[in-house]
Amino acid sequence: MIRVNDLHKEYHVVKKGQGLSGAVKGLFKSEKLTVNAVNGLNFHINEGEIVGFIGPNGSGKSTTIKMMTGILTPTSGEVLINGQNITKHRKEAVRDIGVVFGQRTQLNWDLRLEESFELLRHIYRIDKKQYSETLEVMDEILGIGEILSKPVRQMSLGQRMKGDLAASMLHSPKVLFLDEPTIGLDVGTKYSLRKFIKEINRLRKTTVILTTHDLGDIQQLCERIIIINSGVIMEDGNLSEIVERIAPYRTLKVEFYDSDIPKHERAELISEDNNVACYKFFKSELTAAELIRDLSGEKAIKDISIEEAGIDDIIRIAYGIKNVE
Amino acid sequence: MSYLYVMKTQLIRSFTYRFDVYGNIIMQTIIMVTTAFFWKALFGSGSFGNGMTADKMLTYTIISSAMSVLFTTGVERRIQRSVQQGSISVEMIHPINVFGVYFAEDMGTIAALLFQNLLPIIIIGSLVIKVPMIVSVSAIPMFAASLVLSMGINWLLAAIFGMWAFTAVEMDALIQVKKHLLRLLSGSIIPIWFFPDSLRAVLEALPFVYIYQLPLDIYVGSASTEDILRRMVIQVIWFAVLGTAFFILQRRVLGKVMVQGG
Amino acid sequence: MKKLLDTLGHYLDVTLCNIKLALMVIIEYPASIAGWLISNPIQFIVGFATIKFVVAQFGEINGWNYGQLAFLYGLSVISHAVSMMFFVQGWFMGYSVIEGDFDRYLTRPLGVLYQFFFTTFNIFGITDLIPGIVVFIYGCIETGFRFTLGNAVGILVMIIGAAFIRGGIYIMLGSTSFWTKSANDFGQYTQEIFDKSTMYPISMYPESLQFILTYLIPIGWVSFYPVSGLMGIETAVGIGSGNVWITFAVGIIVMLAAGLMFRIGLRRYESAGN
Repeated sequence: MIRVNDLHKEYHVVKKGQGLSGAVKGLFKSEKLTVNAVNGLNFHINEGEIVGFIGPNGSGKSTTIKMMTGILTPTSGEVLINGQNITKHRKEAVRDIGVVFGQRTQLNWDLRLEESFELLRHIYRIDKKQYSETLEVMDEILGIGEILSKPVRQMSLGQRMKGDLAASMLHSPKVLFLDEPTIGLDVGTKYSLRKFIKEINRLRKTTVILTTHDLGDIQQLCERIIIINSGVIMEDGNLSEIVERIAPYRTLKVEFYDSDIPKHERAELISEDNNVACYKFFKSELTAAELIRDLSGEKAIKDISIEEAGIDDIIRIAYGIKNVE
Repeated sequence: MSYLYVMKTQLIRSFTYRFDVYGNIIMQTIIMVTTAFFWKALFGSGSFGNGMTADKMLTYTIISSAMSVLFTTGVERRIQRSVQQGSISVEMIHPINVFGVYFAEDMGTIAALLFQNLLPIIIIGSLVIKVPMIVSVSAIPMFAASLVLSMGINWLLAAIFGMWAFTAVEMDALIQVKKHLLRLLSGSIIPIWFFPDSLRAVLEALPFVYIYQLPLDIYVGSASTEDILRRMVIQVIWFAVLGTAFFILQRRVLGKVMVQGG
Repeated sequence: MKKLLDTLGHYLDVTLCNIKLALMVIIEYPASIAGWLISNPIQFIVGFATIKFVVAQFGEINGWNYGQLAFLYGLSVISHAVSMMFFVQGWFMGYSVIEGDFDRYLTRPLGVLYQFFFTTFNIFGITDLIPGIVVFIYGCIETGFRFTLGNAVGILVMIIGAAFIRGGIYIMLGSTSFWTKSANDFGQYTQEIFDKSTMYPISMYPESLQFILTYLIPIGWVSFYPVSGLMGIETAVGIGSGNVWITFAVGIIVMLAAGLMFRIGLRRYESAGN
């Protein structure tokens, strides 16, 4: 469905001097710097996948998404959407994609939602029957019906986001790009957005590509993640496999009856707080059953829970931040 | 002082857009040169009733172009944006007067433009058209005094118009009306001596001509000393009237924001 | 051929939808129409009055009497009004470049430049038409201009060509923002330069400037040459009534050049927040 071949993007940045004297000097001469925002990306995304793009601010993930949607022109390399090069055949290729940017709306502020939709219906040449069918589905999952006649400028962020999502799906694109879709939304709206994404992925086999800083989005939506930093791919693969590989440990949280907490030679005691202790252990060295047996042999246990390594640990490791332990 | 800091920040900001600077100089030069040719063609070798010749008219054109730089204001747009985005109530939390900040910003912009635009315009004008000499050395103090008052009147008018934003949200059209009236009725492009006497009398009662026409008349010497002095008195009166109106209005407007919360 | 017609039909359909929506927005904000209805005519009527005062002092401008000047001025304002309706967005292109407005247009299956100009259709441009037509009619009466079919077609052709020249120049100036990465706003200056060079006969300027306005920045073709042709006034380029067609051709060329420049610039587009 999507193929990205050796994608590069360079920016030229003008270096500015400090203060007033720097500003005056800048009028006469300036230094140019070349920044490699994206540096040789290669990947392939199949139909029906939900892929999460993760990376810190300035990692190049936004630039990548913008090149994949035809907004930015790559310095070199290519993006193929459904076999079409998006740079060379933009108008044809973008028919297959829907785009939502969490930070800014695609809707016209001065119009009611249904008027914006009407315009999109003309732009994408959607026939009336299909249009009203799609609207019905949107209403079912997103509850779009009640905000259709509301001017966009009067909408809350959550309503606007729903409107944007519905707008991007009107022409039934094969691929949906979401750039930080849940940013700034309340828990309830987040929940219905995620439900929506899962539903259209299940019902229509829509491929979804999203960037996010929200770990909940990743955990609940993505089977596959691509981690980008400094313009290169750090990790690409199945979420649970990456977790398994990068962070092949678990933590066991144990509540004892008193604060005298036992130690274990093959598990690391990472925190203790009164009666509660957390042990970190590697699956290859020790099973959870063994650890519990050994601990209960020493002290009476009141309660236990096991946690897999968190997605946040994965991200921190992948970003190269070493303060996990 | 905080206002000076605002001014300096604005000055630096104005310097950072290099292309804007050059683009503006080029555009203003084109406008100035075409205007100069326009008058040259019209006057030929003749002269006008008040002793104006093509040569003096060229001086008028160069100085008028240069002066336009001093009348740059951003206050209307600033107020409009603050009101629309609701940031005015945030700005008012700071312990300095909002209008003081806008004034300082405009002065910062003008300070930057002195080097970026005014100087280049005079230099280019001198090279391409003629050296725009003032009519006599003794006119300098009067010219300077009247120019300062002009800048004051211009800024006050802009600020008072800007305050419309608090009542009518859609004010683009109003700003345009004021801009065009100022352009056409202040003497900036066409000196008002060309206008019929009756219209001239009306215009002399309005504040616009005290922005361009009066300082320009002093500079090129196209009016008698008594006439100049009489009009300078009116200029001072206008400055006082607009200043008073501004202070009353701004107090009322800011009070309204306090009550409504922006 | 069939495909071309189909595409054209599609664009027309979207355009009509946009015009409909623009009208609906205006109906919701009636105060702003009133504002523009007053402001735009004032600008041109006052502007025209000042010309009258100048002419009254000097008799005529470079051999053009007041009626002829009114004819020139009227047609210049009319083509200005048309360019405002369709191409005014060009004045604000710099802001769109900086604020990332092109994101939306680039992800939709229509021409980017088309969407840029037509998704916010400027109905207010009509308010500029009124003073233009008033002054033009006045000029027709004063000069005793005879309205034949040929003349009417010529005027129409000229207005379209002139609006294209204006629009093309707005696009070129706006496109510079792709290179400079700053919101260049030359709207007011552009307007002033156009006023200076389209509302008076450019034959009053020195030959070097006339050369520039004829061949390099073809503003002379916006009003001076075609109007001279219609009025039967001899100019440096001669020709006469065929001038209106040259204006049309120049308009197309300027538009194509502007489109090319925009396309090249768009490759450098950086969206917002990078």
